[in-house]
Amino acid sequence: MITFDVIGFLLSWFTFFSIYAILSMSLNLEVGYAGMANFGKVAFYGIGAYVSAYVSMSIFLSLAGLNYPLYSLEATMAMVKLASQNPMLNVSVFILTLILAFLIAGAIGYVIMYPTLRVGPAFFGITVLSFGELLRIFLRHYEPTGATYGLTGIPHPFAWIEDVFVKNLLFTSVTLIILILLFLYAQRLVNSPLGRTMLAIREDEIAALCMGKDVPKVKGKVLFIGSGMAGIAGCILAYYIGSINPNIFVPTVTFDVWAMMILGGIGNNKGAIVGAGIITLVDRATAAINFVFPGLIIDPNFIRWMIIGLIIILVLLFKPAGLIPQTYTWTPAWKIVKPLEEKAKRRREKLLSPFKKISKWFLMGG
Amino acid sequence: MAPILKVVNVTKYFGGVRALEDVSLDVEKRAMVGLIGPNGSGKTTLFNVITGFYPPDRGEVYFKGRRIDGLNPNEIFKLGLVRTFQNPRLFFNMSVWENMLVIPQDQKGESLLKAPFTRLWLNEEMEIAKKASSLLKDFGLKDFVINKVSDLSGAHIKLLESARGLMGKGEMFLLDEPAAGVAHTDAHKIFSFIRRLRDEYGLTFFIIEHRIEVLMDYVEYVYVLHNGRLLSQGTPEEVMRDPKVIHAYIGE
Ligand SMILES: Nc1ncnc2c1ncn2[C@@H]1O[C@H](COP(=O)(O)OP(=O)(O)O)[C@@H](O)[C@H]1O
Ligand SMILES: [Mg+2]
Repeated sequence: MITFDVIGFLLSWFTFFSIYAILSMSLNLEVGYAGMANFGKVAFYGIGAYVSAYVSMSIFLSLAGLNYPLYSLEATMAMVKLASQNPMLNVSVFILTLILAFLIAGAIGYVIMYPTLRVGPAFFGITVLSFGELLRIFLRHYEPTGATYGLTGIPHPFAWIEDVFVKNLLFTSVTLIILILLFLYAQRLVNSPLGRTMLAIREDEIAALCMGKDVPKVKGKVLFIGSGMAGIAGCILAYYIGSINPNIFVPTVTFDVWAMMILGGIGNNKGAIVGAGIITLVDRATAAINFVFPGLIIDPNFIRWMIIGLIIILVLLFKPAGLIPQTYTWTPAWKIVKPLEEKAKRRREKLLSPFKKISKWFLMGG
Repeated sequence: MAPILKVVNVTKYFGGVRALEDVSLDVEKRAMVGLIGPNGSGKTTLFNVITGFYPPDRGEVYFKGRRIDGLNPNEIFKLGLVRTFQNPRLFFNMSVWENMLVIPQDQKGESLLKAPFTRLWLNEEMEIAKKASSLLKDFGLKDFVINKVSDLSGAHIKLLESARGLMGKGEMFLLDEPAAGVAHTDAHKIFSFIRRLRDEYGLTFFIIEHRIEVLMDYVEYVYVLHNGRLLSQGTPEEVMRDPKVIHAYIGE
């Protein structure tokens, strides 16, 4: 009898959920708010992962006075020992690389904007898609980061905790906290004059330009934030799986993230998170079934995408705008117009109505 | 007094198509001037050149004495020259309210660093909101603040487009067929409203309309384009009597 580790399953789901929720939220800022069809999301995810792996391993090895190449077996072996010695070092290197991943991926996203200006908005998606593929092919041949083998031995921030359960619980909690902070940040960003301008650009770029908006500059800002957030997701991934290689960062990752965003609702941060939750759950669940019941006639891994496709079709059939559709940008300016009060009143009534019904039910004796 | 808008010898070709040939015209401050001409005569192209959509092949454009050909559309908007489109280009999936609020230039809350901190842009935001709410009241749109623009009627959309223009520092408006597809009586309503705006806010209007009759009661001066050339100009009465104009319209 194989026992199924429910907690382990949940921890792994939550971690992948956080990583993908950050990605789909970042994609949503670009696509759902600013109207930039980014088909190269995975590139910035990869940049975040590689920056974190490279910097963290370099710091550990050089502090220990070892100068093995990062990709060598010796380096990997040494990292196992080094990673469990100094809790302070692990945690501070984690935080440092989190920031670096954000800044470097963000800066590259910002710079990428400029060549795509010349080819026009319609080709932006294809340009970043090719950028991602070129980067992946480059990494496959770039020896300092281990070419096709990648880097192994990335120092887990909690490697010094012996109890594996506690270690994973702590890591998952940290990733969830990062997700929540980024969500709060994204919410504030979109419900601000900047979010409003982003929406206007998505709606009609030419009109926004005529209304005096510096469209390229706004797009650059959004790409900085969106790519930086993807970099953070990549950083978390690198520490979570401990080993990265170019084949993790294939274009299908980008399309998974698109699916999450479309399912949850384009133009809504909450939607992006819900979409990521559902698809990562299906993904983890099919993987778990495969593990618990090996040798099924149909390998669940193969029907995974059928299930996800079916969910997306059903949701879009009944809710074409996704599970949580786009809404307005709620800045304080709404306070001075009346309809907002009415809307709040209606919302309050809607919230209260189930309670009213229940109390009525009790009072009337069923 | 120097004219607020001055177009000097502007020529614009699209490939082999002559859209504008050697067009020169002036618009005085606080005037209401018409631009008429049959379809395809180059009226929209002239607006596109003035507002920086296309650089002219030859010629110059001056606004408030400053040369503006070669500037980007957003820079020209900032100088106070606002245009509307033949097919209104509003932000259709946004509320009427947001369409107004989004317009003012360089808002503090548009900065990446300040945007997340409401405190830093709250005052400015409330001032913008006050201005927007009083404009919407003037334009009879205040009951629609929360509606999506796509839910408005055609006439309301036209009104919103002008109201939105006033959210910026608009001094002069180029209106591309503000009464297109609107019945004659409603067209008269729109034009008298524009005249009221001109009087109340001291604005300048340059208006495209391809039906001569409806515009005539409202403008002081008219330019007539035909096949990209300036065919005639003068007061509405003069232009209506010009045999060249009659010929161009009947020949259409
Ligand atoms: N972007 C463009 N590319 C090619 N030809 C154009 C373009 N814009 C306008 N034209 C041509 O220029 C001429 C004038 O068009 P337009 O200015 O739209 O006329 P109007 O607004 O007076 O109806 C037409 O022959 C039209 O086909
Ligand atoms: Mg036209």
